[in-house]
Amino acid sequence: MIYDIRHLTLYEYGSSVTFSHCALRLLPIDGPGQTVLSSQLKITPEPALKVERLCFFGNRMTFLTIETAHRKLTVEVNTTVEINRTPPPEDDETPAFESVREEAFASRSLGRESPAHFLFPSRLVPRFEPAADYTRECFPAGCPILTGAKALMRRIKKDFKYDTKATVVSTPLSEAFEKRHGVCQDFAHVMIAGLRGIGLPVAYVSGYIRTIPPPGKERLQGADAMHAWIAVWCGGAQGWIGLDPTNAIMIGNDHILLAKGRDYADISPVAGIILGSREQDVDVEVDVLPRG
Amino acid sequence: MPATVVTGSPEFLHPLKGVRPPGGKFLHIYAADIGRGPDGRWWVLGDRTQAPSGAGYALANRLVLSRAFPALYRDMNVERLAPFFEAFRLGLAAMADNSNPRICLLTPGPFNETYFEQAYLARYLGLLLVEGGDLTMRDGKVHVRTIGGLQPADVIWRRIDSDFADPLELNSRSRLGVPGLVDALREGGVVIANALGSGVLEAPAMMSFMPKLCRTLLGEDLRLPNIATWWCGQKAARDLVIAKMDELAINGAFGNPLPGLTSTSSLIGSSVTETEKSRLAAAMAERGADCVAQEVVNLSTTPVWHEGRLEPRPFVLRVHAAHTPHGWKIMPGGFCRISGRADARAVSMVGEGVQSADVWVLAEKPVQMVSLLPTDETVRIRRIMGILPSRAADNLFWLGRYLERSEATLRLIRALSGRMIESGISSTDSASAVTKLTSLLIAWHAAPQLKTTHAMALVTSALHSDEDYGSALSLVRDARRAASVIRERLSTDTWRLIGDINRDLSIDFHGPLAEAEAYERADAALRTIAAISGFSQENMNRGAGWRMFDSGRRIERGINTCRFARHFAIGDAPADDLDVLLDLVDSQITYRSRYLMGVALNPVRDMVVLDSFNPRSVAFQAERLNEHLATLPLLSDDGMLEEPRRRILQLSAEISTATAQRLDNEKILGFEQGLLALADAIAARYFLQGPHVARAETSSGLA
Repeated sequence: MIYDIRHLTLYEYGSSVTFSHCALRLLPIDGPGQTVLSSQLKITPEPALKVERLCFFGNRMTFLTIETAHRKLTVEVNTTVEINRTPPPEDDETPAFESVREEAFASRSLGRESPAHFLFPSRLVPRFEPAADYTRECFPAGCPILTGAKALMRRIKKDFKYDTKATVVSTPLSEAFEKRHGVCQDFAHVMIAGLRGIGLPVAYVSGYIRTIPPPGKERLQGADAMHAWIAVWCGGAQGWIGLDPTNAIMIGNDHILLAKGRDYADISPVAGIILGSREQDVDVEVDVLPRG
Repeated sequence: MPATVVTGSPEFLHPLKGVRPPGGKFLHIYAADIGRGPDGRWWVLGDRTQAPSGAGYALANRLVLSRAFPALYRDMNVERLAPFFEAFRLGLAAMADNSNPRICLLTPGPFNETYFEQAYLARYLGLLLVEGGDLTMRDGKVHVRTIGGLQPADVIWRRIDSDFADPLELNSRSRLGVPGLVDALREGGVVIANALGSGVLEAPAMMSFMPKLCRTLLGEDLRLPNIATWWCGQKAARDLVIAKMDELAINGAFGNPLPGLTSTSSLIGSSVTETEKSRLAAAMAERGADCVAQEVVNLSTTPVWHEGRLEPRPFVLRVHAAHTPHGWKIMPGGFCRISGRADARAVSMVGEGVQSADVWVLAEKPVQMVSLLPTDETVRIRRIMGILPSRAADNLFWLGRYLERSEATLRLIRALSGRMIESGISSTDSASAVTKLTSLLIAWHAAPQLKTTHAMALVTSALHSDEDYGSALSLVRDARRAASVIRERLSTDTWRLIGDINRDLSIDFHGPLAEAEAYERADAALRTIAAISGFSQENMNRGAGWRMFDSGRRIERGINTCRFARHFAIGDAPADDLDVLLDLVDSQITYRSRYLMGVALNPVRDMVVLDSFNPRSVAFQAERLNEHLATLPLLSDDGMLEEPRRRILQLSAEISTATAQRLDNEKILGFEQGLLALADAIAARYFLQGPHVARAETSSGLA
């Protein structure tokens, strides 16, 4: 499946900004089952300096320095991506979660794919025992890791209410967990806190999900905006497997991957300090159109 | 080593991967907490590699002690600390790629618990004390925002934690860092000591690998062993720890709380219940990597004088090593913390009641006197104004303004109290002056409106109230707040005097003061302010800092004098009003000697507003301001006047060409507004104004 994606971010400031540094993570990368056919980044006003670099986790980062006075900053990304993923393994093809845990903690690799980076608390996902307790019930002794992860995913989907008004980016994990509501980011963070709490390596993934559902199917939540899900490491042989707790489905050909990190803070799409502006307003538009 | 020993630390900062510091040096200063066992053996209790504190406190302790016991200090052949600090500074300087680098000490600011030490070290070592807001990254290099535009910062000694150093790539919530700093490091555009992420070595988990690391990397055993540590991320160690838990202390492996137990980051196995122990064991099976077990170390004691007798108290010692051009140097001394409790277990050595002591290392022979003075050949003689960071300029300017405003308010209080003593409001003449003085104090928010019924109640509020933002107390507190963030630029005497006046005015008051007492208090406070003025005139180097401080005072004095003149020197003012005015501007003696007849409107106006011989007149302030602004650095060499200078030239011309006969309140108000506008222009040009920070430009041209 080929998708055309348009992602527009618009900032408006209360007063004129004459100088800013920012960092964008808005360009997708190639990966297993995903090929980027084209990508284009348009920034107004034109930045004085634009440098692209891969971050530690392999995401494309664009560093900008803007020296033109402006009250409005627009970042428009147009990308075309081809998705052709292999289906995930059967549950019982994955190892028991205890052995995954032992293998992960013993890993000697500091490479970007290493589970060692995804076992510990991160900025937005601190240690949170209630989430670990919630997760433990999904993992009876000796259960294959994917069986447990899917059970947890379904439990979250069943218990949590999807509500775009309930939380904001800064809502703490504990609040979303206690009130059992939130958006894709909260669902993903809760699942991460739970899995890490019992010692399993898990990553936060951001991306898009197809806007228009195939005929006869329901429209998925999280469309027309950025989406987020998780990937759990299932041992060296199976590697990372993606699960979408917001929709309780496995990652397939409807998901387009943008960036991967420990949580949202590692891969927020636009990071930057706009000095001196008292108020700022942000507007995001996302269109994901399948071709043909 | 399993990767998780490193990735478990919140100090493992992914964006720094592959960033090599110039010269390949990651650590520049290192500290260790060491303790002595009852058998006399020393142990390393913990490593400090992030931004170790304590060296400055050691230095401060040393200065106090060597002054208190000079003979003892000399006769016992105590090793000096100065050479260590000098070597450390040279080590920092040697990292830069130019011979005369600008070294900054990056502080989290005055709210940090070790700010005193940071300010102290900055002054002692001659470093520029900066906060994140003082720095900006441009074109791969870090610059200081100064009143002369952006100036390169070559070396940064950071006292902020790594994670806060760059909101763009590290903790985006940090307001302490410099956006783009990590990118500057990648480009090799700045040296930072210690390297960002060096705190990863502080993790207790790392200690369990130290003996082996030392043998593998250096082929030798640790010269000073650390306390036996088992990291529970590996099964063999974990099983051992669970079996022997009663004999061990359990700690977070990365400074984290222990899993399974809420908000506890340290416990001693023998002192917890069986339930807690089994909870911990179960949690360790899941996330053993979060825990280390350590031997329970008993510390030996040192005598402490407590309630009239000597008592034994356990202690730990923080020792420092610095990387210098001649290799690592150890500070011959240290910062000793003595526990407030008698419990000798090392684990209890944190928290309250801790005292500190100086640590003397004794030499065999008398120690050569060495201070921080370098040899003649290494110094290039310079007479420069020095660079002044914009934030420091801002605070110096406002320190000047607040002090001057306190002075003006105190003068009003003194004048009012004086009138109350002399006349007891008998004559109508004096009543007018009293009314005017009280209304000014109310208009300046020195006292609330309601208390007007009792003049002395109003005076008391104006002196001591902390609810009225214009009271003398509130103003000297503002002055101290401004001073507290630039302490490294003020002499200890000045800082002490600001503290004195704060203390003298911060007293509880019950009911109105007697006239004479209020007079004496205002008078005493004015004498202290005069002492501060004296120090600034006689002791402060005529650099940009002094000019900013003095500009603040001059502008404020000019504004206040205009206001006094507009109140007391109006068309049909009674003689007593003019007399009060001469009191307020301290010009009685001059007036009496110059004019033999009594007070009259035009001569008084001339003396107070226009006479440039009178250091209290508006004209005099304008002349000094013009000198200051003419001397401060320019952003461009295109020869054009900058806005503040343009304004003061215009204002000076108006004042110097005015005559007393044609001076009226409208004109004086014009001067006052001109000064207010000048203050705004100074703020816009010299202070931190968000992104509108000016870049220095050099235009080229044939002469």
